[in-house]
Amino acid sequence: MILFTLEHILTHISLSIVSIVITIYLMNLLVHEIVGLYDSSEKGMVAAFLCITGLLVIRWIYSGHLPLSDLYESLMFLSWSFYIIHMIPYFRNHKNHLNEITAPSAVFTQGFATSGLLTEMHQSTILVPALQSQWLMMHVSMMILSYAALLCGSLLSVALLVITFRKNFEIFSKCKSNNLQTGAFSFVKFKYANEISNALKWKNNNLISFRNRNYHRYQLIQQLDCWSSRVISLGFLFLTVGILSGAVWANEAWGSYWNWDPKETWAFITWTIFAIYLHTRTNENLQGSNSAIVASMGFFIIWICYFGVNLLGIGLHSYGSFALTSN
Amino acid sequence: MNTLNPSRTLNHFLLKTPSLQLKFKTHHFNYIRKRNLNVKIVSELKTPKNKKISKKIILSEGAPDIVENQQVSPPKLGKNGGSPLLKFLKRAPRKVLSILANLPLAIGEMFSIAALMALGTAIDQGEAPDYYFQIWWILFFGFDHMFTSPVFLGLLVLLAASLIACTYTTQIPIVKVARRWNFLNSAVAIRKQEFTDSLPQASVRDLGVILMGAGYEVFLKGPSLYAFKGLAGRFAPIGVHIAMLLIMAGGTLSASGSFRGSVTVPQGLNFVMGDVLRPNGFLSFPTEAFNTEVHVNRFYMDYYDSGEVSQFHTDLSLFDLDGKEVMRKTICVNDPLRYNGITIYQTDWSISALQVLKDNEGPFNLAMAPLKINGDKKLYGTFLPIGDVDSSNVKGISMLARDLQSIVLYDQEGKFVGVRRPDSNLPVDIGGTKIVIVDAIGSSGLDLKIDPGVPIVYAGFGALMLTTCVSFLSHSQIWALQDGTTVIIGGKTNRAKIEFPNEMNRLLDQVPEIVNSSPSKSEILNG
Repeated sequence: MILFTLEHILTHISLSIVSIVITIYLMNLLVHEIVGLYDSSEKGMVAAFLCITGLLVIRWIYSGHLPLSDLYESLMFLSWSFYIIHMIPYFRNHKNHLNEITAPSAVFTQGFATSGLLTEMHQSTILVPALQSQWLMMHVSMMILSYAALLCGSLLSVALLVITFRKNFEIFSKCKSNNLQTGAFSFVKFKYANEISNALKWKNNNLISFRNRNYHRYQLIQQLDCWSSRVISLGFLFLTVGILSGAVWANEAWGSYWNWDPKETWAFITWTIFAIYLHTRTNENLQGSNSAIVASMGFFIIWICYFGVNLLGIGLHSYGSFALTSN
Repeated sequence: MNTLNPSRTLNHFLLKTPSLQLKFKTHHFNYIRKRNLNVKIVSELKTPKNKKISKKIILSEGAPDIVENQQVSPPKLGKNGGSPLLKFLKRAPRKVLSILANLPLAIGEMFSIAALMALGTAIDQGEAPDYYFQIWWILFFGFDHMFTSPVFLGLLVLLAASLIACTYTTQIPIVKVARRWNFLNSAVAIRKQEFTDSLPQASVRDLGVILMGAGYEVFLKGPSLYAFKGLAGRFAPIGVHIAMLLIMAGGTLSASGSFRGSVTVPQGLNFVMGDVLRPNGFLSFPTEAFNTEVHVNRFYMDYYDSGEVSQFHTDLSLFDLDGKEVMRKTICVNDPLRYNGITIYQTDWSISALQVLKDNEGPFNLAMAPLKINGDKKLYGTFLPIGDVDSSNVKGISMLARDLQSIVLYDQEGKFVGVRRPDSNLPVDIGGTKIVIVDAIGSSGLDLKIDPGVPIVYAGFGALMLTTCVSFLSHSQIWALQDGTTVIIGGKTNRAKIEFPNEMNRLLDQVPEIVNSSPSKSEILNG
C-alpha cells in the first residue's frame, strides 16, 4: 500500500515538474531567453526523470515483473525513453535541437498516460502465460526505446520539412500546440525564429537581410538533417534488435518465428520505411527533403504500429484474444 | 522400422486410432471413443490453416533464378551467334546487374513491399472466395492470402536480387576504396575536406599521438599523416545485406522443408509423432524420430490467487519403437520440448472428462463437450442422466466447468445446486443422488513442428543484429600535413557529421603548442 501511495505521489510530482519545465520553455521562447531559467528547466527535467524512474521501479517491485505489460506501463516507459534521449546530450554537454523535441514528447506521452482516458488501466495486471518469459524484458524494452528514438528522429525530419517548405517565417502569431506533433514542431519553429530575431537584433539592422536569413536557415536544416539521421539510425538499431528478439521469442512461445501477425507486420513495415530512409541518405540526390518525407511517413506508421493494431484488438499481440489467456 | 511416408499418414492416422483404445481401461471406453473423434476433428480442422500459414514465406525460391539467368545468358548467346547480338548479350548480365543495383529501384521495391504488407493487414486473410466478391482484384492478385501471393513473393525475390546486385556492384567497390589508406600531399586537397583547420606552431607527430589516444589508426609518412577510425562501419552494411539474404534463404527452407501439426490429447493418452506432423513443402522428408510415441502423463494449470490461469503444464514422455522412454519433460508455454529436431509446444487446452462417483458407484468418466467458445472464455459441460435412460424425456444432472478448478452443478430442473472442487471429495446431494466429483481431466493442446530453416534464420538474426550495431559506427578519416610550423588538418566522416567537428576541436585543443618554434626544430621533429 505504501508503495502504491508512493507511486501516486511520484506521478504527480513528475507531472507538475514537467509542466513547470514546459512553461519555462515557452517563456524562454516566446518572451525572452533567460539563461538561468533555461538551466533550471534542464534541472527540472533531471528531477522529473528521476521521479519517473522511481515510479517504474516501484511498479516493478510490487507487480513482480517488468512494468511493460499494458498500454499505460508501455506509455510510461515510452515517456521514460524520451527522458533518456533527452538526458544523454545534456550530460554530454552539447546543446542541440533534440531537446526541443524530446521534452514536449516526454511530457505529452506522460500526460496522456496519466490522464483520465486510461484510468482503468493504472492497476497493474497479471501476466498471461505467453508473456512469462525472460524475452519480455528484452523485446518490449527494445521496441519502446526504438519507438521513442524513431519518433524523435522523425519529428526532427518533420520540423525540417516545415522549415524547408515554409515561405513565410513569421510564425509568432500562429501557434497551435494542442497535440504532440504540432507542439513539437512549433518549439523548433520558435527556437528558429528566436535565433533569427536575435541575429537581426545583434546586427542592429532593421533591413531584413535575406542572405543572413538564408544562411541561418541552411545551417539549421543541415543540423536537423544530421541529428534526425543519427537518432533514427539509433532507433533503427533498437528496432532491429527488438524485432529479432521478438521473433526468437515467438519461436519459443507460438511455434514459429514469424506469423504475419498484424503487429509483427506493422513493425516490419516500420522497419522497411526506416530502412528506406537510411538508404535515401546514402544518395546525394535523395538526401534532404526527400529523406525527411520518408521519415515523416515513418512517424505516422510508428503510431499505427504502436496504437492502431492494439486498438483494433487483432492478432496475437492483443492479449485478449490469444487462446491461452482464457481464465 | 519403416519411416512414415507423408502421403500415407492420413490413412495411417485413422488406422492407428484403435491402438490408442487398447491402452485404456475398459470402463473408459465410451469416453475414449469420443476423444478420438475429437482428436481427428482438431487435427483436420487445423491442418489446412497451418498449411496456409507455413507456406507463407517461399521468399527467395526464385532468387537463385535471377542469378541463374545471369549465368545462363552467356551460353544462350553462343547459340544465337550473330556478332552485334553477341555483343549485346555479353553486356546483358552487367546491364541487368546495374539495373538491379539501382537505388531508386530498390527503394521502390521496399515501398511496394511495405504497401502490400499494410494491405495484407487491412484485408481479412484466408476467408472463403465469396467473402471477397465485391472487390474483384483481391482474388485476381491473390491478396486474400497476401503473404503467399505471387505478387508479394515476386517482390521479395526481386528485392533479394537487388540486395545481391547492390552488394556486388556498389558496396564491395566502396570498401575497396575505403581500405586504401591514402596520404594527401597537398594543402589544397586537405582544405577541400568537410572539416578543416590549421594549427600554427604544432607538430604533426603530436597530433598523431593524440589521435592514437582517441582510438584512431595513425599512419605517418614524412610530413603527411593519415588516420582513420570506425572502418568496420563501412563493412557493416554488406554484412546487413548478407544477413538479410540468410534470413530469406532460411525462410524459404522453413516454408519448403518443414512439418507441422497440432493435436489435442487428453491426459493419460498417447499419440505417434508421425501421425500428427503434416509436410509443408516439397523438401519435407520424414525422419526416424517420427516413430516416437508421445505419452501425456499429466496436464495441469497453475493459478493466480485471483483464480486466473498463470501457466499451463504438460508432463510428456517420449518412447521409441522398443517402448523405451527416451525423454521426459514438463513443457509449458515459453518452454517447449525439443527432441531430434522436433519441437512440441504447449498452445491450447480443453477439458476432456469428469470422473464422477454416483451413489459411491464408479468412478464413471463423463466426457465434457465445449459449450461456448466466445473469444477466450471457455465453457465445458456434461450431463449425468438419472432414472430411466431409455425414456424420451431423460432428466439428469448438468455439470459445467470453466477450468479445472471448480465444477458447477445443476439439478434436473436446471436449478443451481453447488460448486465443487475436484479434489475436495465433498458429496453433493441432488434429488437423493449423491455425486462426488473425483477428478477433472484436461486435454493438452500441443503443436508439433520440424523446421530445418531455423538454424539458418537464427544465424541471419545474429548477423543482422551485430552488423546493424556496427553500422552505427561512423567511419572517420583525417589527413594532416606539416607545412612549415603549421599543421593543416582536414577530415571527414560518413555518419556522425555533427559530433565529428566537436570531437576534432576537442582533440586539436590538446595538441601542444611548440613555443620555441623555429624551422630547424620542426624539421628535426619531422625527420
